[in-house]
Amino acid sequence: MNTTTNTASASNGMLAVGGIGLIVSLGIVLMKLMSEGHSAFATTANIPWGLPISTYLFFVLASTGLTFVAALSMVFGIKGFYPIAKRSVWLAIITLIAGFAALGLEIGHPFRMIWTFPAGMQFRSPMFWMGVFYTADLVLLLFKFQKMNADDWDSGASRQLGVASFVAVVLAQGTLGSVFGMMAMRPFWYDGLVPVFFLVTAALSGAAFVVLFIQIAYRGNTDSMPLDVKALMTGAMPKVFAAVLGVYLVFTIARTATGLWSNLEGNEVFRVMYGSMLFHFEFWIGLVVPFFILINGNLRNQATMQILASALVILALFIGRYEFVIMGQMVPMFKGQWTPGLASYMPGLAEWMLVVLAVSITLFLYALGARMFDLSGKPKS
Amino acid sequence: MTKWGMVIDLEKCTGCQACTAACQMENTRMPGEVWQDVIFYTEGTYPSATLSWLPRPCMHCEEPSCMHVCPTKATYKTGDGLVLVDWNRCIGCKYCMIACPYGVRFYSGERAEIQPDVRTVYPGEGDKVWSPPFQMPADKQDRSRGVGVAPANVVTKCTFCSHRISKAPKDASDLSGDNPATRESTPACVLTCPPTARYFGNLDDPNSEVSRLIAQKKGSRLLDHLGNRPQVYYVTGEGGSVPNVGSSRKA
Repeated sequence: MNTTTNTASASNGMLAVGGIGLIVSLGIVLMKLMSEGHSAFATTANIPWGLPISTYLFFVLASTGLTFVAALSMVFGIKGFYPIAKRSVWLAIITLIAGFAALGLEIGHPFRMIWTFPAGMQFRSPMFWMGVFYTADLVLLLFKFQKMNADDWDSGASRQLGVASFVAVVLAQGTLGSVFGMMAMRPFWYDGLVPVFFLVTAALSGAAFVVLFIQIAYRGNTDSMPLDVKALMTGAMPKVFAAVLGVYLVFTIARTATGLWSNLEGNEVFRVMYGSMLFHFEFWIGLVVPFFILINGNLRNQATMQILASALVILALFIGRYEFVIMGQMVPMFKGQWTPGLASYMPGLAEWMLVVLAVSITLFLYALGARMFDLSGKPKS
Repeated sequence: MTKWGMVIDLEKCTGCQACTAACQMENTRMPGEVWQDVIFYTEGTYPSATLSWLPRPCMHCEEPSCMHVCPTKATYKTGDGLVLVDWNRCIGCKYCMIACPYGVRFYSGERAEIQPDVRTVYPGEGDKVWSPPFQMPADKQDRSRGVGVAPANVVTKCTFCSHRISKAPKDASDLSGDNPATRESTPACVLTCPPTARYFGNLDDPNSEVSRLIAQKKGSRLLDHLGNRPQVYYVTGEGGSVPNVGSSRKA
């Protein structure tokens, strides 16, 4: 009884914080856009993609990872993950909406996409495919959630929706990776393995998000969890989290080491990245510390440690996305003395408010979902 | 078949930036929106420092990466070899700016580099990004070809003065200010270049002046290894300004 009350009050608090954040941040962004136009953003001809794009990347890859977590039971039949599947799908939907909101307010004419994408059918553009697959992903996830909410977990249609959403999201994150990885003129990004890197980083986001939100749902009290959720959160889930974090660390170290070693023109930004406090905070505090927490058999099963590890990883991933997007553009293209060094970028109020907006949307819709649906729903048998 | 292209003779170019000024005036560009830039490079230290420069229009590539990445086909290639932007289709995602290896694209919604912001000094009528007192005549402006004053939040770039060269006499292979028949259809930067360092013509015609210059003076293209195959060629000779374009960057 007490737990139910506490959970409800937590949900109310999140709803209020998310709602207020949403109204305030959206108000500020719209006011800035109406008064200053898109020059409210601090992007330049040298750095056309700023914090809103990295925020988009952060949220849509989180959504991708959450779909992966849901797919463990829905697609791969690992039944132990069923108790968190519905929450994962809901989180995947809302983080995707949050990412789309950040992107929609950043680009110049978002509504033109409705007719120019189908009318253009630009098959050669990875961004075209990214748009197609993420839109398909959102629609499929909504249908899948509807099925789950109607307690239809195992019908043919429900299973097919689960598989289709998984396939769509794998293709979506792959094409999102290609948006960057195919840019031969930007060595910081140019790499055929970026879609694979995004696969790992998305999986890590998904694991971190689901761990954090489950702990929030049960107010960090493992004993208040249903037995199957408790078994998962003190068993397979933190181990999966640790494993994915380990793989991500290998990717990060390999990528950074290669970039630092290479003398290729354009890769000098790896040295800038390595020289920044932000990178070392991200790497040591945001990735290495959680990794040591998670590989320790005692620590990884403690709720507070799980909250700490997931929160640090989420923060590290947010920084990582920002570094990835901005540093890929820091080497100016043919600017000579006009931009003698590397291009710089410092996000302004409008950009930060878009971050607040995306976070607020996630919190608000999550709390709304927790009120309206039984997010801990699972198959009866 | 016509494939318009340009040859810039670096041995003749004095770096005076008349091409930049002419382009800005002809195309009603905003300050900082430099479609036709002359980029300066310094190398070494006193007393052995050198100054060199590189005039840089849009390369109107044969395989334009900006066009291939555009998710809406707003950037397209015309039958006569121009790379243009249809402002009615542009969603302002700026992916083309990311993908252009030559940095020749600009966003009309960008924060002004030079104050005061001309968009507030001369506020745009309708959805125009600005309305300066002197601008390209309305009958020459064409949004589907990215010509004239841009609307807000779209990407703009050099059009090779599409509105001028589209009036070229049929079968003209060389557009030059020296020829009265082609003077009005010659791109503004070519027409205005004081030392006549710029040549404009049909790359598909082996007898055109641009084709002959490329052959005789060993024309080369910027960043040819990327495979974009620019339609702007650079030629030079002894004493030409040939900057080491990467040398000014230091991490």
